[in-house]
Amino acid sequence: MNPVALYNHEPLTSAAKQHQFDPYEMNGGTSLVIKGSDFCVVASDTRQSVGFQINSRYAPKTFKLTDNAVITASGFSADSLALFKKLSQNLEWYKHAHDKVMSTPAIAQMLSNTLYYKRFFPYYSFCLVGGIDEQGRGVAYSYDPMGSYGPEPYKSVGSASTLIQPFLDNQARVGHQNQQIVQQSEISLESAISITKDAFTSASERDIYTGDFLEIFVIKQGGVTVERVDLRKD
Amino acid sequence: MSITQYNGGTILAMAGKNCVVIGSDKRLGVQNLTVSTEFQKIFPVTEKCYIGLPGLASDVQTLSELFRLKVNMYKLREEREIEPLTLANMISSTLYGRRFGPYFCEPIVAGLDKNNKPHIYGMDLIGCLNFPDDFTVAGCAEEALFGMCESLWEPDLEPDDLFETASQALLSAADRNSMVGWGAVIHTITPDRVITRTLKTRMVIYYISYI
Amino acid sequence: MFLTRSEYDRGVNTFSPEGRLFQVEYAIEAIKGIILAVEKRITSPLLVASSIEKIIEIDSHLGCAMSGLTADSRTMIDHARVAAQNHNFTYNEKIKVESVTQAVCDLALRFGESAHGEESIMSRPFGVALLIGGVDEKGPQLFHADPSGTFMQYDAKAIGSGSEGAQTELQEEYHKSLTLVDAETLSLKVLKQVMEEKLNKTNIELASITSEHGFRIYSEDELQAVIDRL
Repeated sequence: MNPVALYNHEPLTSAAKQHQFDPYEMNGGTSLVIKGSDFCVVASDTRQSVGFQINSRYAPKTFKLTDNAVITASGFSADSLALFKKLSQNLEWYKHAHDKVMSTPAIAQMLSNTLYYKRFFPYYSFCLVGGIDEQGRGVAYSYDPMGSYGPEPYKSVGSASTLIQPFLDNQARVGHQNQQIVQQSEISLESAISITKDAFTSASERDIYTGDFLEIFVIKQGGVTVERVDLRKD
Repeated sequence: MSITQYNGGTILAMAGKNCVVIGSDKRLGVQNLTVSTEFQKIFPVTEKCYIGLPGLASDVQTLSELFRLKVNMYKLREEREIEPLTLANMISSTLYGRRFGPYFCEPIVAGLDKNNKPHIYGMDLIGCLNFPDDFTVAGCAEEALFGMCESLWEPDLEPDDLFETASQALLSAADRNSMVGWGAVIHTITPDRVITRTLKTRMVIYYISYI
Repeated sequence: MFLTRSEYDRGVNTFSPEGRLFQVEYAIEAIKGIILAVEKRITSPLLVASSIEKIIEIDSHLGCAMSGLTADSRTMIDHARVAAQNHNFTYNEKIKVESVTQAVCDLALRFGESAHGEESIMSRPFGVALLIGGVDEKGPQLFHADPSGTFMQYDAKAIGSGSEGAQTELQEEYHKSLTLVDAETLSLKVLKQVMEEKLNKTNIELASITSEHGFRIYSEDELQAVIDRL
């Protein structure tokens, strides 16, 4: 807490306080996505906390939706899990209705609508969707809790996003910003994975809500693979 | 919004091999409004020691004058230059002297001692000192700087590499924070000289290839 | 073939299984797209021919030709359009031809007493058969939806009163490597054979659906150009 807050006392009045129901919680955690020309990397840590309490050291928040798409969300895990369940159900319905697996761009649009449907009682989830499109190109999308979304080359959300996002600007951008002598080619899978690991090991040094394990999903033509890496556990 | 973020601005310092750097952005704002793009937040104290003062602009200027006075008095009385650790403690006790009505500033000290050993210190607005051996950051883009420094910094960097590391950290952090930017200043302090460089942040239109 | 008025032709509430009118709606799945062609029966010299619309756009990549109680088709086409737009809204992609056909056929049984959970919209079954053509990720496709709510896919299909002769002719002439231009000519050629009146640019309607241009109805000039090739 900022020490300045100690000086911002609430007025000492005797007015009656009304306690109101607040159904939201912030469970911390960080998620990240980096897309490449023919792949996408989606990653998140597995710690789940409330305040200074760690609920779980292994509570995954990244899930495979199809062979071509992975979703991750940080924020309120109960909402995120409910949202993922709803999406999976919609994917199943879609498969039955249209006799095909939903494409990643279609999932992206559907997620936006699903979130916006609860505009005035939102899912408190900061989502990222990563995968490959019908042409096999890497795609990534980021969302706010009300469903505003857009495509991204790379993105971090969650408790350590302020730490990781400038790092991604610096390392994951094509023709890295602020660096003149740099190759202009698209990022390789190897460097995307190593940037991801660096980002999370660094973030877990300073952010108490990020740590324990890192799960890295790689989406390529032909399926999704998962890698689990250790992070700080203190 | 906290009063420490009222005027924007951010500072970092990093230690290398027989060298330190200290850098800041150049913006002065009143909340969202940018008032100046040439605002000084880093002040030389001795030939090999600088202080960075991020926070409320009036306190930044008041403190810079106060510390100048105190450092001059120290020099006259002791007949020697003040060392970084001494300076850090002087600043710390000055801030704690206003424990219940503080200056809204979180100073950073960076310099080389008489043996050219690098020193960097950080503290909060009531003078709680921090003695890191890698880097220290403060101000509006503190979190972004932590993320950058934590991943870019490595031990025993030579002056040029240390400058490059600090520049990349400061620029990338500044570019993600609207309270921070409009150029940057970085002082590289080595045993024989101090190199002061100014940098551009996102002040020109970049040709961005998004998506 | 109904060469004379049949028992189905007496009232608007009575319909044949495949439609009531003496017309042929005819569609061919060509290599690069779909051709839909219909005869417009000009029942009076005072009738403004252009006011008869028997080919209709469902979405930019979907078209539909109809036969039977064309008034009933309004409900079905409205439903198809809503289904197509809704799909695009939800998934940001074009609905498949089969899916939109299924959506239309889902309507077919929504008559009589209302079933649990579904609203009944009609007191009687629909009296219209549709040919729904379009281009999606699977390429050009053509479906025939009949009033019973069944639908089937065809390479080439004729419906309506002249359909038997037309279908026979199609079976002989259709081949997999038909070009769009071939399909234009073939469709009008078959139409010409089964029409009682002389085929001209005002008493037919022709539309194409291609991946390049989507759904497009031919102008009279374009029709004349095709007729001239016959």
